[in-house]
Amino acid sequence: MQNNECIYICEQFTEYHENSLLPELKAKVDAHLTVCSPCQAIYQELAQVIQKLHSLPTINTNPEFNDQLLSKLRDLQAESTWSRIYKSSYMRVASYAVAAGFIVAVGLNVWIDPISPINQGRVSSFAGTQKPNAINEETLASQTDSVVGNSSDSLELSPGTISSGSSTLQLVNDTQ
Amino acid sequence: MDAVTPKTDEQLIAEFQAGDEQGFVELVNRYKDRLVNFVYRFLNDMTDAEDLVQETFLKVYQKKHAYREIAKFSTWIYTIAGNLARSELRKRKRRKTYTMSSLSYDDNEFTPVDHGKDTEGIVFNSYAGEEIMKAINQLPEPFKTITILRDIQELSYEDISTILDIPMGTVKSRVNRARLKLQETLSYLRE
Repeated sequence: MQNNECIYICEQFTEYHENSLLPELKAKVDAHLTVCSPCQAIYQELAQVIQKLHSLPTINTNPEFNDQLLSKLRDLQAESTWSRIYKSSYMRVASYAVAAGFIVAVGLNVWIDPISPINQGRVSSFAGTQKPNAINEETLASQTDSVVGNSSDSLELSPGTISSGSSTLQLVNDTQ
Repeated sequence: MDAVTPKTDEQLIAEFQAGDEQGFVELVNRYKDRLVNFVYRFLNDMTDAEDLVQETFLKVYQKKHAYREIAKFSTWIYTIAGNLARSELRKRKRRKTYTMSSLSYDDNEFTPVDHGKDTEGIVFNSYAGEEIMKAINQLPEPFKTITILRDIQELSYEDISTILDIPMGTVKSRVNRARLKLQETLSYLRE
């Protein structure tokens, strides 16, 4: 661009090309272009650029475009149904109530029944010092003997002998 | 016998707002190609362009009651698509791990056109088409948008002014400056 007038003229090119300039201004541009070859060259190139822009090939969407859109719409509708349900204050209050109820139920279960599966390995103060179902080995042994009816069937140890019921085994000390 | 005159966009959206989904279908068929042409020039990727246009229609579907007949339907939908495209470009810019600034004589980033993802018929056979798209991609953002809206989509200055929310005088001056910049870029590319 040569000078301020050239800059001013170039600013009018779009409207000049679209023939929307006021007649006086159009005459001014015409007059300038006849005497200024650089501006004339710019204008000619500009006109070619506009022509190229208008002749760019048109792009078409692929044939599945509508089906894809429909599928997205269905997903959106399904999603919005669930989110509507979740967002409704009634459902939110209900879900909080269910959660609170569950926590209370679990708490009560631990409090009342300490042997419950969720409380295995813990002994509550309410359980006393002995597990009610624990098997006492001594009791079991005496119960077994009484059922068999042979209280003398148990092994007895005395120095040098081992006796069991009717038989006695004497131990011999070789060192003596 | 009454001549069948096609319904206006505004009539169709009004029908859709009243519950007739056929109005929406008709609007999709009217605008899908135009919008893909618009968005593709920003993103240079056909798959992304179609996804974004589908997202635009989903927004129209969801927010149908947000449209008021104070503006043309076309400007409303172009505004939605334009905003989504700009937001996608911002996301891409953040994700971008490299720039090809060495290929650009200006400070603007050069976005390579990904022809690999183009569908049949979109690849520009003519060198002129590729050349001009390259030049458009080198334009700074406001000039690029205005060029696409005015020279490719051939929207009126008034519609562009509404879509971009800028005065009509600014639209005109930007169109002129964008064209001069394009002409400059094309001269440079030819050298």
